[in-house]
Order: sequence, then structure tokens, then C-alpha cells
Amino acid sequence: MLEVRGLSVRYDSVIAALEGIDFAASEGRIVALLGPNGAGKSTLLKAVAGMLPFEQGEISAGRVEFGGVSLKGKHPAAITRAGIALVQDGRQCFRNLTVGENLRAASFRHAEGSAERLELVLSYFPILGEFYERPAGFLSGGQLQMLVIGMALMLQPRLLLLDEPSLGLSPVMVQSVFAIVERLHEELGMSVIVAEQTVPRLMEIADDVYVLSRGQVALHAPPQAISEDDLQRLYLS
Amino acid sequence: MFILQLIVAGLAVGSVYAIIALGIVLIYKCSGVVNFAQGGYAMLGAFFTYALTTAGLPSAAALVVSLLLMGVVGALTQTLILRPMLKAPVVAVMMATLGILIIFRAICLLIWGPDQIGFPKLFPDGSIEVGGIFMTYNYVAAFLLSAVLCGAFLAFYRYTPLGLMQRCTADNTRAALAVGIHVSNQVTIAWTASAMLAGLGGSLLASLNGLSLGLSNIGLVAFPVIVLGGMTSLPGAVVAGLILGVLQAVTDGLLTPAIERVLRDYTEIYSVGALQQVIPYALLVVVLLVRPQGIFGSKESERV
Repeated sequence: MLEVRGLSVRYDSVIAALEGIDFAASEGRIVALLGPNGAGKSTLLKAVAGMLPFEQGEISAGRVEFGGVSLKGKHPAAITRAGIALVQDGRQCFRNLTVGENLRAASFRHAEGSAERLELVLSYFPILGEFYERPAGFLSGGQLQMLVIGMALMLQPRLLLLDEPSLGLSPVMVQSVFAIVERLHEELGMSVIVAEQTVPRLMEIADDVYVLSRGQVALHAPPQAISEDDLQRLYLS
Repeated sequence: MFILQLIVAGLAVGSVYAIIALGIVLIYKCSGVVNFAQGGYAMLGAFFTYALTTAGLPSAAALVVSLLLMGVVGALTQTLILRPMLKAPVVAVMMATLGILIIFRAICLLIWGPDQIGFPKLFPDGSIEVGGIFMTYNYVAAFLLSAVLCGAFLAFYRYTPLGLMQRCTADNTRAALAVGIHVSNQVTIAWTASAMLAGLGGSLLASLNGLSLGLSNIGLVAFPVIVLGGMTSLPGAVVAGLILGVLQAVTDGLLTPAIERVLRDYTEIYSVGALQQVIPYALLVVVLLVRPQGIFGSKESERV
């Protein structure tokens, strides 16, 4: 489904964030993308979603393909239309707009069936229905995370990219977020890539795990084959 | 009664300030750039209307064609000059807008010369009287046109899908990109709309006060308006424009003569000059000292 080969990314033409990464996500799988701060997880997701040019970044080598079609040089709008939705770190949404307007804004590119998708999103996240007319800026961290995942669902993605969804959330809320990811995967057959620093719960639901370190793939294995010691060794190296 | 007359005249001029200021706020919200060229767009729009009218077009048609031309000019300047500066610091882009203002002035100077030009009549002569207050059709039309346009623009921004995309771009460009909005196209749309608003404001102002290169200074008056309104508030720009228009009219009609009378009685000074032109900037200083976020602006706060 998603295939990344020999991907290198630089910021400001000099700072190497990724060096020759090979990565793949198959249809209907949950892939965990682990690694410490600065390992290159967010950069990899941004490269896939076409966001790099807006952050002084560029793909200096390699290729990114989704369903056999190259994504290199494509605008985020085109990549969204192709079926990839990125939930960025920092819970990026429109905080001065209402929850309803946030969800409507996310359905512009896929107007057809947006009413049904809105119903689906509100069934997954009933709290968004309760706060539908309130500005998003008033939501708590956990509610904002639900909103940004809801916005991504309004884009009708086949592949959902989640960048550190648990960051800054309470343990209970982290459990809820991953329960939702599991439901999306099971009920909608959605493929999901989750980038996290370390979350035991993610290891329970993932089908495949990549560990990045200093811009390179340090380990690629099924979750059962990765021990706590392996992760600690890689994180501390 | 006289003060009411002044207030009504001030509202007419203030509504024109409002539509010019709306354009500045629109661009600022979308791109963080303060457009110093807004006065230049207003002047260019007025010259376009003048040229089209003198070429034989009826005034209404000339105004419409002029606005369309201004839309093209706005889109072109953004696409050709400002879009390539995407990665440049915001200050550099603002300096570029200052350059655009100078270029517009030079072009108009070259074609139409430096002298004041009698602007063709956009509206019929005559006046109406309501409750003892007289208003020329010119002022009535300028006020009504500006008011309707401001209302339509605010409604468009609030209720249409394109307006929502504009608000999304203004709120968070990263989030806008992630939901598939072409941010650079939205900025182009903002510049197009802004140039059209400026063109209309410039034409209306020229119909009230005549046309010369000095019309581009209206951009400077618009800055106190947007600071008073709260840099990012569109309704704030409208209200502040009206306040400033009324303040200027009252200063010109009441305050200046009163001060001059006192000065003549006690000193040898006979005139304080065009005091109404100082008012916007005095107000700007006061607002920045007392309420820097403006009337409608709010201090940045975020739940963490």
C-alpha cells in the first residue's frame, strides 16, 4: 500500500533528518513507528503527507509510493485526495472555529458522503457532538485529539497517519485514543501508522514495528519479536 | 443639528475607510503580512475608474470593470511578486508591499501626472433631507454601497464554504494544509478580494474628494483603523472605520474652529492646520497605550 525506498530528507538543504529509509505499510495493518525524540518519525510522516516543503524540508533522495503511484512533489491536498490523512503532532486544528466548522472544513475535499461520515465521526466521538457549536480552543487536550482524528476521518482516508497522539494526555485518555485506533482498524479496515516515543498499548495492537534512530531504521520486526530490552538499548544508544 | 450633520458625513467617509481596512485585515489574517500597498491599490482603482469613465463607459459599468481589473492586479501581484517570497521573512514581504506602493505611484504619475483631477460623477447631483439633515447623493451612495458591501463581505466570510476556507487558512496554515486546503490559493484569493475592496474604496473616496496621487495616503489612515479594530477582526475594522470617519468630521467641523477661536483670542496663531488629519494617528497612539489588542481584538490565550 505505502512503500518508501531509500528516503533521505534534509531541512534547510543541510540538516539531514532521514538517511536512506526503507519503510512499508500493507493494506489493513497497524504499523508502529517508534523512536526517541529527533529520530525522524515526524519527518517520515510529513514526507509521506507532502508537508515538508512548508517546513523548509525536502526529499533529497529516494521514493515514496502509495498504491503504486509516486507521492514525491505532490501537494498535501493531492495526497489527501489520494486517501492519506495526517494527524499532526500538537493537535493541529482551527481553534478559533467551532468544532462543527472544523469537521466541515475537513470535508471540503470529499463533499460526497460527508453527512454520513459526520454521523460516523460523531458516533465514534459523541463528545464532539455535545461541543459542536463551541470553539475548538475550549476543548481539553484529549477532546482536541478526538477532534483532529475526527477531522482526519472526514477526509475519508485509506491510510491514517498519527503523529504522537498520546503526547501530553492522561493515561486514561491514552487508552481511549488507542481503543479508537483499534476500532478504526477493525470496523473500517483502515490502515494506520502511529508514531510514538514509547507506548506499551501500541505494541499490543500493532501488526508491524519500525524503530527509528538518528534518521535510520534501527529495527524492523513484528511486535512479538521486540523485547523491552531491545527498545531500551536502541533508545539509549 | 450641525453635529448630526457632521456625524452623518463622517459615517459616509468612515464606511469607505472600513472597506479599505477590511482588505488589510483580510491579508493580515491569511498570511501575517501587513500590506503597505493598500493605499496604492485604492489609488490605482480610482484611476482605472477615471480612465474608463473618460473613455466613455457609464459610471456604474466603469466602477464594475475597474473592480474586476483591480482583482486581476491583486491576483497578479500576489502570484508574481509575493508567492515566490513564500519562504522569506514576513518583514521582507512587507517591504515588498512598500515597493509595490512606490511602483503603483510611479505608474500613475507617469500616465496621469501629479495634479489633482476632477473625478467624474459616479452618482447624480443633488441631495436629500432627512429630519433637517442634508446629505448629497454622493455621500448617501458612498455610505450605502460601502455598508452593503461590508455586510455582504462579512456574511460571505462567515457563511460560505470559501469563507470557511479563508478562516481556516487564517487560523492555522498547518491544519489547513492537512485537510487539503491550497493555502497559497487562499492567500491569492485574499489579495484579489483585498485589491477589489481597495479599488472600490479609492473610487468612492475620489468621488467625494477628487483624485490625485495623494489618494494612496489613505493606506496610512487605514492602519489606525485596523489597530483600533483589533488587527484580525473584520467587524472591528468596520466599526473602527466608522468611528474614525466621525471623529475626523467632528474635528474638522467643530473642534478645529473652536480651538482656532481660542487661539485667536489669546495668541497670534490663527490656524491649527488640518487637525482632522492628525486625529487618526493620535488615536493610534492612545489605543496602543491603553488597549493594544484594539476594540474587538483579544489577547492571545490558549488552553494547554
